[in-house]
Amino acid sequence: MTSPLPRNARKGSGVADANDASVVTASAAGATASGERTAKSIEDRRRRLLTFFSFGGMLFIWFALTGFGFGTGSALVSPVFLPSPGAVVERFVILSTTGYQGSSLLHHVAISMMRFGIAFAFCIVVGVGVGLLMGMSLTARALLDPPIEVTRPIPKLALLPLFIIWFGIGELSKVLVIISALFPLMSISAMQAVRGVSLRKIQAAYSLGASRWTVFRRVLLPASLPGIFTGIRVSIGIGVTMLVGAELIATSDGVAWMALSAADFLLTDVVLVGVLIMAAIGYGLDRIARLIENRLVHWSGKDG
Amino acid sequence: MGLHLDPSPVPGPDPERRLSSGPAIDSTDSTDTAPLQTVDLSAVRADAKVQIRQVSKQFGVGTSAVRALDAIDLAIMPQDFLCVVGPSGCGKSTLLNIRTGFETPSTGTVLLDGQPVSGPGAERGVVFQQGALFNWMSVVDNVAFGPRARGVSSRKARQTAMEHVEMVGLTGFEDRYPYELSGGMQQRVGIARALANNPEVLLMDEPFAALDQQTRELLQEELKRIWRRSGKTVLWITHSIDEALFLATHILVMTARPGRIKASFRSSFYEDPDPLVTTSAAFSEAKRTIVSLLRDESLAAQRQEGVRRG
Repeated sequence: MTSPLPRNARKGSGVADANDASVVTASAAGATASGERTAKSIEDRRRRLLTFFSFGGMLFIWFALTGFGFGTGSALVSPVFLPSPGAVVERFVILSTTGYQGSSLLHHVAISMMRFGIAFAFCIVVGVGVGLLMGMSLTARALLDPPIEVTRPIPKLALLPLFIIWFGIGELSKVLVIISALFPLMSISAMQAVRGVSLRKIQAAYSLGASRWTVFRRVLLPASLPGIFTGIRVSIGIGVTMLVGAELIATSDGVAWMALSAADFLLTDVVLVGVLIMAAIGYGLDRIARLIENRLVHWSGKDG
Repeated sequence: MGLHLDPSPVPGPDPERRLSSGPAIDSTDSTDTAPLQTVDLSAVRADAKVQIRQVSKQFGVGTSAVRALDAIDLAIMPQDFLCVVGPSGCGKSTLLNIRTGFETPSTGTVLLDGQPVSGPGAERGVVFQQGALFNWMSVVDNVAFGPRARGVSSRKARQTAMEHVEMVGLTGFEDRYPYELSGGMQQRVGIARALANNPEVLLMDEPFAALDQQTRELLQEELKRIWRRSGKTVLWITHSIDEALFLATHILVMTARPGRIKASFRSSFYEDPDPLVTTSAAFSEAKRTIVSLLRDESLAAQRQEGVRRG
C-alpha cells in the first residue's frame, strides 16, 4: 500500500456533498463553500452536544442517587450498593497507590492484559491463519472446519474446570479458555472473508500472470481484511468478557478477580473501579482496532 | 433437471459452415462493397493468432448435464477485432473463459500462435465487467500489478503503468483509488491494466455493460483508437449489436444453448472515422440482419429457460 488516504477526510467530504442541496437553498448562492462548512460544523456540534448530554445524564443520575456528595445521609441508595462517583475516584487513587490484596493495581491490570493479550495475539496469528487456509483450500476446510463447528456451541467457560484439571491452575488454563472462545470467531470470520472475495478479482490477478503466492499476498489477503477486522473487533468484546470468566476461579490477581473478590467483602467501590477499568480496556482496544481498520481497509464496502 | 431440453445433434459434417452462408444473410446486400459480409471463420489457418478447434463444453454429467458449447471452430487472425454476440446463456462467456484458461474445454483445443493454451497467462489480457479492480490499490498500482506479477522491478512497472494510465486518459488520477472513480473511469483502469502486460490478445467480457449509454459510446470510440494504436487482437463479448458493429472487424452470432456459430461476418463500419456512423442507413441495415438472426436464438433461449424452470 502506498498512501492510504485518511478515511475521515473523505467521509467528511461525503457529508458535505449530501448537505449540498440544503446548503444551496438555505444560503445565498456564491457563499456555498463557507455555507457548507458552517452547516457541517453545526451538524457536528449538535451531535457532540447530544453525546455530551447522554453521558452527562448518566453521570447526573449517578450523582443524584448518591446524594450529590452531601454526605451519605442525603443518598437515595446506600453506598454499599452504589458508592458515589467521588468515592469511586477516591478508591481508584487509593488502589493505585497502595494496591489491592498485596499487589499493585498496575500489576492486576497488567496480568489481565497479559492473559488477554497472549490469547488475542495467538488467535490473530493462528486463528486467522487457519481461517485463511480454510477459505482457500477445500482440503484444509474438510480437515479443520468440523472440529471448529462441532465445538463452537459449547459454552467455553464450561471448559475452564477441564483445563484446570489438564493444565493446572496456572496461566495456561486462563489463556486457553480465552483462546477457546476467540479462536473459532476469528478463524470462521477469516474463512468467510476469503470465500467472499469476488472470483472476478482472483481471475483478474491470474490473468495478469500472478502466481498463487502473489494472488494470496496481494489479492486474497487484502480483500479479506475487512472481514478479518470484523472478527477481530467482535473478539475484543468477547475476549474481555472471557477474561472475567477466566479469573473467576483459581487465581489471586487480575482486574476481574479484584472486582469479584471485592464483591465478597461488599467493597462496592472496588468492584466499580474494576468494572470501569475493564470497560476502559475494552473500549480503548476497540478504538485502537477501529483506528487501524480505518487506515488499513479504507476501501471497505466501496467496490471498484 | 430431467426435463432438460437436449437439442438433437445437428446432422451433417459442418453445421456452422453451412449456417454461416445460410439464406438469412444472402437476403441482404452481399456485394463486395457491403459493410457487412458473410465470411467463414471456421477454417484452420496456420497464421491464426487464436485457433479454436472443435471446442465444446459440458457442465455436469448424466441427465443433468448441460451442454454450453458445441464443437466451435474459429480462427482469429492477428489484429482482428472479433465481437461475439448471442442470446443470454449461449456460452459466450464460457467460450471466453476457455480462451482465458479459467475453464478447460470438454473437447477440443485452443491454440495461441500455434501453442495450446492451458491455464490463465499474461499473454492473454482480460478486461472484465465492473468489480474486477483491486480497490485496495491506487490506480497506478492496479495497472502496475501485471508487470509486477511478472517480475518487473517496481520502478519499471510503475513507469509502464503511468504510460498506460496516460493512454486511457487518466493522468492525474493515478493515485486515486478505484472506488473514487466513476464507472467509466474504472473500466479505463481495467483496460489499462490489461494492456500494461502487453498481451498478445485482449479478451473482453462485456466490459461496458454496466455503463450508461453516453459513457459507453465515448469509451467505444476511445477503445477503437487504442486498439488501432496497439494493433492487438481482440475477442470481445457483448450483448450490444451496436457496439459489435461499431467496433468489430468480425462479428460472430451464436445460437442458443448449446452455443454454436450461427453466422459470422466481416464488418467495415469500424473503418468509418465518423462516430455517428451508427445512425447511417447502412448501419441500420446491418443491424437489422444481425437482430433478425439473434431474435430466433433469443426466443429459443427463452424457451429453454422455460423448459428448465418448468
